[in-house]
Amino acid sequence: MSYEVMVGNKATAVGCKLARVKVAAVFPITPQTTITEYLSEIHASGDLPNFEFINAEGELSSQVIAQAAEATGARSFTCTSGPGLLYMHHPMQETASKRLPLVMAVVHRGVKSMQPDHSDLMSQQWQGWLHLYVENAQEILDTTIMAYKIAEDKRIRLPVAMGYDGYVLSYTAEPVEIPAQEDVDKFLPPYKPMPGIFPVSDKDDKWRDFEANPKTFGAGWGEGDPMKPWQMHNEAALNGETVIKEVFAEWGKKFGRTYGNGMIEQYRVEGADCVITAMGTIAGTAMAAIDKLWADGKKVGLVKIRSFLPFPRSDFQAIAKNVKAIGVFDRSCQPGMWGPVYHQMRSTLYDEAKKTPVIGFIGGLSGKEVRVADMYKIGEKTLKVAQGGKPEAPIQWV
Amino acid sequence: MDEMVLVPGSTCQGCGAAMAARLTFKVLGPNLIRHGIPCCPDHVSKHPRAGSVFEAGGSSLTGTSRALKALGRTDIKAVAFYGDGGTYDIGFQALSAAAERNENILVITKDNEAYMNTGGQRSGGTPKYAETTTNPVGPKSRGKGEPKKNIPMIFAAHYVPYIATASVAFPEDLMQKVKYAKDIEGFRMILIQAPCPVGWRFDPAKTIELARAGVQAGVWPLYEIEHGTSFKLNYKPKELKPVSEYLKPQSRFRHMTEAEVNEVQGNVTTNWARLLKADEMKTVVL
Repeated sequence: MSYEVMVGNKATAVGCKLARVKVAAVFPITPQTTITEYLSEIHASGDLPNFEFINAEGELSSQVIAQAAEATGARSFTCTSGPGLLYMHHPMQETASKRLPLVMAVVHRGVKSMQPDHSDLMSQQWQGWLHLYVENAQEILDTTIMAYKIAEDKRIRLPVAMGYDGYVLSYTAEPVEIPAQEDVDKFLPPYKPMPGIFPVSDKDDKWRDFEANPKTFGAGWGEGDPMKPWQMHNEAALNGETVIKEVFAEWGKKFGRTYGNGMIEQYRVEGADCVITAMGTIAGTAMAAIDKLWADGKKVGLVKIRSFLPFPRSDFQAIAKNVKAIGVFDRSCQPGMWGPVYHQMRSTLYDEAKKTPVIGFIGGLSGKEVRVADMYKIGEKTLKVAQGGKPEAPIQWV
Repeated sequence: MDEMVLVPGSTCQGCGAAMAARLTFKVLGPNLIRHGIPCCPDHVSKHPRAGSVFEAGGSSLTGTSRALKALGRTDIKAVAFYGDGGTYDIGFQALSAAAERNENILVITKDNEAYMNTGGQRSGGTPKYAETTTNPVGPKSRGKGEPKKNIPMIFAAHYVPYIATASVAFPEDLMQKVKYAKDIEGFRMILIQAPCPVGWRFDPAKTIELARAGVQAGVWPLYEIEHGTSFKLNYKPKELKPVSEYLKPQSRFRHMTEAEVNEVQGNVTTNWARLLKADEMKTVVL
């Protein structure tokens, strides 16, 4: 174990090294660029044996190179931001449909500006990946390693995207504890490829036996129920709720650092009248606002959402039982449909016997600064609803 | 040599691409991962097939090749069997990048000169005057208006170890080239002309005859380029046969006037002189 002051993007590269990534394919884009440079340095140094580093000619190719390397049996990595992620849209679907446990860092950059918001990763909800959102450099390093363990779990076998805010986190230096390689090796065993992708028939849920049927990756049509792969994919993504919690609990036990239960992290929720939610770096800002709210006698808790996909359904159903309102903060907006987190929250709580009001706040788009005072106000507005007041509007712009 | 082609296959009668697959994979043997992207025909051999998105055939080959290296399995080859769309057009960027990085991959392109998988639409590999389903002949159209992209020379200009053209009508030449390319380290590409009876509209019994006529007329010359410069013409008849012998049996050219045939003849003759010169000088002449 050692310490180093490093920026978020370096934490990603160090995480890859500790995870003994064998193939990394990258294409630079601000604010992800320095990950590619750190990885190239790791390659040039020879510190990571048998590490193949590829300068792809674009993000579509970096996704496909990493995908094919993963399919061939090597633990692989790629990373991108904003427009680069949109450019990967097509092959991302293929990576997930082939059930390949690739890990990708998404350094958030908005689609209407170069500044960060979550519109890039939020726009990829249909591509069949798990989506984690992290807050600081230490969490990046730890989550990079854990993401492989989650992705490679037999119950999942899906790619994982780890999102973190560009600039404010990618380029901010923080002290980071680097776990010892031997401890990481014990936590994360070598990657065992499991090439079965599709059920052999509609009666058989088992992975295709590659020995018996060593045919193909990617040509999924022609046998069995054509909806079965969708069903299995959906189930695998939902299994994330269990597996993420298990992996984070194990990490906590081995390395002494926890991030809530992996799906969510609660801050001063105990005894609170209402909670607000936040994701990524804004969670840190929100914590400062929560302290102020409590100091002023306003009992508002914070729930940091770490996994957006799968959504922490059981956690929020439990939390909703004990609070009188939930204020959801969205750092993205699907024009005409508002914030995606708001919708997930409402559908999560719709069937609950106790109706907990959910109000939405949209902020931080295109890098607009979200201050402690903004989160304080969100807390106050949510508290007003918890006390029986009517919100000014169901969804408000911050 | 093992027969690696799928029998029964999914191809039409007289499919030039199926013949190309049979000859190629017989030489390459079983120890490879075959990449496929949308093309016609795709399911051609018994190898594990790792397909990915249409636009990134060069990238998926790269991923396989690099992973094999990282895993210490360099005994297994990464081989592509792509079409002209995946090579000349939508797949060009990724293949060009893989060539520029000199990835250790072998690309077999069977060139049937149109998008045959979707029913024969124009591609960058379609020759001038050919009628396709998106180049119908009419008062405002004489078929395709532009010449075929010179893709072997374009890839040669990436200074890669080996580029070759081949024809199903010259199986010994084709197989020799595959054998030679098999064990070279770096980027190798073999472009095989693959007559398509359905798309080109000719008698399926005449595939080999037609392919032979194309080579003998100089329309599809057989050559090799090493490291982007060293040039060798593999088939040099004393005299070229007229292009009309190649064009005539194909209904995709049936609308051509005598003047248009003469224009094609002129271009082929000029190009042939250039190739002979290149062969004599042992270097690429453009």
